[in-house]
Amino acid sequence: MAVEVHERDYVVTHGGPTQGGNRWTSAGWLRVLWVAPLSFLLSIVLVIGLRLALGYETAGWEVLNPFGDSFFQFAPADLQPLIVAWTVIVPLAFLAALGGFDYWAYWVSGRPTRPEDHSGHGARSWRDYFRVNTDHKVIGIQYLVTTIFFFVAAGLMAMFMRAELAKPGMQFVDNNTFNGLFSVHASLMIFLFVIPAFAGLGNYVIPLMIGAPDMAFPRLNALSFWLLPIAGLTMLSSFLVPNGGAFAAGWTNYAPLAVQQAEGNLMFQMGVQWAGASSIMTALNFLVTIITMRAPGMSFWRLPLLVWANFATSTLVVIATPFIAGSQFFILFDRVLHTHFFTPGEPGGDVIAYQHIFWFYSHPAVYIMMLPGFGIASEVISVFARKPIFGYRLMALSLMAILILGFSVWAHHMFVSGMSPWLRIPMMVTTMLIAVPTGIKVFSWLATLWEGRIHFKTPMLFASGFVSMFVIGGLSGIYLGAIPIDIHASDTYFVVAHIHYVLFGGSLFTIFAGIYYWFPKMTGRMYNERLGKLHFWLTFIGFNVTFFPMHWLGLQGMPRRVSDYAAEFGSLNFVITIASFFLGASTVVFLYNMIVSWARGEPAPGNPWRALTLEWQVSSPPPIFNFDEIPQVVGSPYEYGVRGARHAVMNGDRAAATEPERERVH
Amino acid sequence: MVLVGVAVGGALALVAVLIPWLPSADAEEAGPVDQVYWFVTIICIVIFALVAGVSVYAVWKFRAAPDDEDDGSPIHGHTGLEVVWTAVPAALVTAISIYSGVVLVQIERIPPEHRVVEVTAQQFAWSFTYEENGTQITSGTLALPVDQPVELKLTARDVIHSFWVPEWRMKKDAVPGIETDIVVTPSKVGNFTVVCTELCGLGHATMRAQAVVLTQQGFEDWLREQRRLAEQAGSAQGATLFTQQCGTCHALADAGTTAEVGPNLDNVLPGKGADFIQESIVNPNAEITPGFQPDVMPGNFGEVLSQQQLDSLVEYLQEVAGQR
Repeated sequence: MAVEVHERDYVVTHGGPTQGGNRWTSAGWLRVLWVAPLSFLLSIVLVIGLRLALGYETAGWEVLNPFGDSFFQFAPADLQPLIVAWTVIVPLAFLAALGGFDYWAYWVSGRPTRPEDHSGHGARSWRDYFRVNTDHKVIGIQYLVTTIFFFVAAGLMAMFMRAELAKPGMQFVDNNTFNGLFSVHASLMIFLFVIPAFAGLGNYVIPLMIGAPDMAFPRLNALSFWLLPIAGLTMLSSFLVPNGGAFAAGWTNYAPLAVQQAEGNLMFQMGVQWAGASSIMTALNFLVTIITMRAPGMSFWRLPLLVWANFATSTLVVIATPFIAGSQFFILFDRVLHTHFFTPGEPGGDVIAYQHIFWFYSHPAVYIMMLPGFGIASEVISVFARKPIFGYRLMALSLMAILILGFSVWAHHMFVSGMSPWLRIPMMVTTMLIAVPTGIKVFSWLATLWEGRIHFKTPMLFASGFVSMFVIGGLSGIYLGAIPIDIHASDTYFVVAHIHYVLFGGSLFTIFAGIYYWFPKMTGRMYNERLGKLHFWLTFIGFNVTFFPMHWLGLQGMPRRVSDYAAEFGSLNFVITIASFFLGASTVVFLYNMIVSWARGEPAPGNPWRALTLEWQVSSPPPIFNFDEIPQVVGSPYEYGVRGARHAVMNGDRAAATEPERERVH
Repeated sequence: MVLVGVAVGGALALVAVLIPWLPSADAEEAGPVDQVYWFVTIICIVIFALVAGVSVYAVWKFRAAPDDEDDGSPIHGHTGLEVVWTAVPAALVTAISIYSGVVLVQIERIPPEHRVVEVTAQQFAWSFTYEENGTQITSGTLALPVDQPVELKLTARDVIHSFWVPEWRMKKDAVPGIETDIVVTPSKVGNFTVVCTELCGLGHATMRAQAVVLTQQGFEDWLREQRRLAEQAGSAQGATLFTQQCGTCHALADAGTTAEVGPNLDNVLPGKGADFIQESIVNPNAEITPGFQPDVMPGNFGEVLSQQQLDSLVEYLQEVAGQR
């Protein structure tokens, strides 16, 4: 059977040697160096100029006059338009200066676009990771390194919080700082770590897994990466906002508290816009790539489950993310334009409507943060148990069931919010039903272990750790889904325990599993197995001692989001704090292993895990365009133990492609 | 495998029973809620024991030697098993849903004969208003007679707060602009804490009020005392108002309050005059005590207190400040 290899035009924005011209005016960091400060000043001129032209009394030129008395004496209300201008204009200018829009700008203005010499693909030195690069493998690594930076930053904030909570009373920080710490901790972990870390892993692996040379839209891919540091730095820098510091209304940012808060709150609203835009662009890219760029023979029923998982996740992202964008824009309008979308009074808005819109995104977001992890677990468990994944089709269908059900459960976050009482029972029923497809996945993973030949390498340890911890998180979810129990446990430490079992024991464990699993593929070097195992056991123990007692604290009466608590909870909180420091320290082992192994690890073979999926059939790291020739897919990716079964035929071995399909052995 | 499962299940059952996970149940509504909790707990222990039994056995039994390059059995699935683990969890969660729904209706039923207390939340204090025999009484403490159902009508002045008494198992948000309600029938005499569970700003962690459940006789005495206090005037009224409205955040030895949300008035009050005191109450951001942040204290006391109440409060504080 002849196979048509798709010729695609690989378009490169830049990245190779610059085409003559001035280094200060061509795309790159030198151009950022002067464009970013200029745009910062331009924002000030724009805002103050407009206010002056419209006849506002304050924040005219006088605040910019260094000889005047009111030099930089902005009243809080005057700071808001400036923050909005800064967080919109400076990022756009930064992206433009770095070259994120160059191709489109040239095309729109009718100038010749750069010749497509593929020179932007691949990374030859560490410097290439700091450029707008269109290679999905470079972007994947850019994503992962960036997200791990924000993971460490947000983790340190958790350490500060635990230090404050070590004993009752106030010791290290004031209430405002504490509220800022947990708000920024959650926002960074969700929007800058878990969601984009999965996007980064998917970015690297998915084109390889489906036999494609790159993502469908490489330039869009690069742009969506560069939005991430913008979003993260916007949120982090909120600590520097004068008069009140960081946003401190929680990552949920409920109105009217969000409207009443100091100016730092704007940094959450704008940070979410940038992170959300990045998510949506990546998700569209994944969808188009998965739908249109599968190698010949790669039908949907032959897709690895990670690809299925990213397909479901991307659908969720595209549909749901605009809702949080909208909710935060309306909060921003309530603050800056004095509208009343979500504030009571005359003219009155609807306070509870905010929560409906917010959770219509943020509940599906839980699955956005979980489904890719399901995918990673399926890959890892099947490979290291040396067995086909149990019930492949039901595994794929249960992902789609979660996707659909996930949109019908948002109000279970609002059982005590005072919303329409009739909505609670239907939402409880759909919430409970989500346990069914989730249960199918857990039982199928266990059945995959059955009669396997299990190798407990680090990725497998994290994947099995994930299954056990996720079961606990899922079961505590049943408690919270049952309305009478939720009325008692809602907004307490029980919820803190539950979300960390789901997002730490679930998402983070699978992210670690994925990073260790694909580390040899990405870097071409093996990680240190002994340190990897040490990292797992430290994390596993530290995690459980930190978060399990929180169930008890919550049921007994300790509310969440508090800097201080009743004396009776003192001793257990002290234990939790010690365990959390232990947990924090385990991350040092991980970072050390990653850095040292990347620099000096043993060279990795192409397929160290003897896996069948396509990414392992090429060299480590893969060639610039992934495959010398697009592979021909001939069977399932999980046929471990099936004699003679093949997933794909590589590099023109067409004779093998005509082999009849293998009989399934039950 | 069965052995491991039974061992894990037994251990979990002991943990569930021997550790007191729930606080004492001191309202009639708490009983049914706890029954749902135990129902779910039994199901969860069985499921977890099953998962633990299978996985521990698999890890122990199917572990490969490092140099073992063989593959496992190529089992692709088992339709019967897959049907079972779809159907059984579906049946279990449906049972939990139905039971929860029944209990929800039961605990939210409003008995025809019941007392109404209006609960107002604001940053960062609670106040409770009673209509008893035509007179209105407002207190910073929630006092209730034992074994009598009460409907709490919740509202908030500024942002969302949430009313929770752990021993009663009841919680509901107090939302500005709308009225929400809960019904509770305290079944035990004693002191409880009203906890705010919805993040409401800087003082959220310390936004607490006392709930006192009294005997019928004790409650009537309490009402009488409140009526007497309400009829006070001058600095005596001011002292009462201070305990109710200010004492949840400020320490003042004379009033016997010890809270630490706001400045300790024993330190900052002496020597202050009437104008300063009045300004500090109605416009708290005018001058901020070093070490504290603006906007922590509600700015609406000028509206919440009548002019007469404000005067008495200022009069009382002037006395304490040593200026009268």
